[in-house]
Amino acid sequence: MKITVRIPTAFRRFTGNADTLDCSVDTLPELLGQLEVRYPGLQPHLRDATGQVRPFLNIYVNEEDIRFLGGNNYRFHEGDEVTLVPSIAGGSPV
Amino acid sequence: MDPKLYERYSRQILFTEIGEAGQLRLLEARAALVGCGALGTALANLLVRAGLGSLRIIDRDFVEPSNLQRQTLFVEADARDALPKAVAAERRLRAINSGVEIEGVVADLGPHNAEELLASYALILDGTDNFETRCLLNDAAVKLGVPWIYAAAVSSYGVTMTILPGVTACLACLVRTPAQQGVEETCDTVGVLSAAAGVIASIQAAEAIKLLVGKREALHGQLISFDVWSGRFQAIRVARNPGCVTCARREFRYLEGEAQPRLTLCGRDSVQIHEHGRQLDLAALGRRLQPTAAEVRSNDFLLRFRVPPYEMTVFADGRAIVKGTRDPGVARSLYARYIGA
Repeated sequence: MKITVRIPTAFRRFTGNADTLDCSVDTLPELLGQLEVRYPGLQPHLRDATGQVRPFLNIYVNEEDIRFLGGNNYRFHEGDEVTLVPSIAGGSPV
Repeated sequence: MDPKLYERYSRQILFTEIGEAGQLRLLEARAALVGCGALGTALANLLVRAGLGSLRIIDRDFVEPSNLQRQTLFVEADARDALPKAVAAERRLRAINSGVEIEGVVADLGPHNAEELLASYALILDGTDNFETRCLLNDAAVKLGVPWIYAAAVSSYGVTMTILPGVTACLACLVRTPAQQGVEETCDTVGVLSAAAGVIASIQAAEAIKLLVGKREALHGQLISFDVWSGRFQAIRVARNPGCVTCARREFRYLEGEAQPRLTLCGRDSVQIHEHGRQLDLAALGRRLQPTAAEVRSNDFLLRFRVPPYEMTVFADGRAIVKGTRDPGVARSLYARYIGA
């Protein structure tokens, strides 16, 4: 399925400043795998050492949290828009 | 309404969604702000000028020269005197609006004091710089049933979400476990534009005013992010997690202190030692350190000295920040040697 991935500002330094990417994948693990191959610098921000999506990264499909759509089992539909939303801490304590 | 008050707030009263009735409610409203950095100073400024009834500002740090680029309540003298941010902000805000009850509290919000410091407020505002404290705020807000407004800014962008316990998603619905140190971006690694913090604080202030004047139906209801460099705005509806550990199961792990570390890394090269209840006589400690430490300086709130290549800042409640190392062992041994075991 052809989908569009929206890249947040925080990740654009790993994607050569691209803010949207077109991918052809069926599931979330496939999508993450493809992103990691295309942009190796993204890998630590997407999944942890055990291959789980990092807890601080939320993934939305057409503005619905993918966890509530079935997570890794969700099958993308043609034209789905996927948004990666990392949580940010901000601040500079000292 | 008193004519002088009406005149002062007339431009806001003319905005029909607030009106005189809304302004009267705002003048009675009580809010607590945790963290007084870029977001917190901008937000406090907006709300105090808007005529909030009372604002408590809780912050653990002191003003430094690198804060002045974006922390809009502070001036050079505050940095020169190393004033605690809560104290400097209170002074400036009182000068801005003497009709608002403002209370600066120099404290490190933790499980031991969170409920006590935040109970009795209608709204909790997030100006913090780390997820541990935000998770603690989330626990306290959900437990107390008090709305809170999450916000963070870094680089050229920021995010904010208004949390109504039991109604909207909470922070734990959005963020399952705190990030490991080092992976998420902080202002110390990628910097922050004052304009980014300003936009996010403004959205936060508007949400705060809607809540405090009783216009819940006007809340934006989304996780909003805005990038001032690209101009890109994004809003995502975050669903409640039916199995959420905090707002569904009501397990308050942060409030119970399970996740509270005694030492945390902060900034590029500093370790903070969270000691509480160790009341220090800073003047006596300063005299004791004079022969061994360099540049021993103090004010009413903190004592700072150098033992090259380290610099230590000690607060009256025993908390300390050791600059010049990221090694908790080094920090702990310096603390034991100069302040006490």
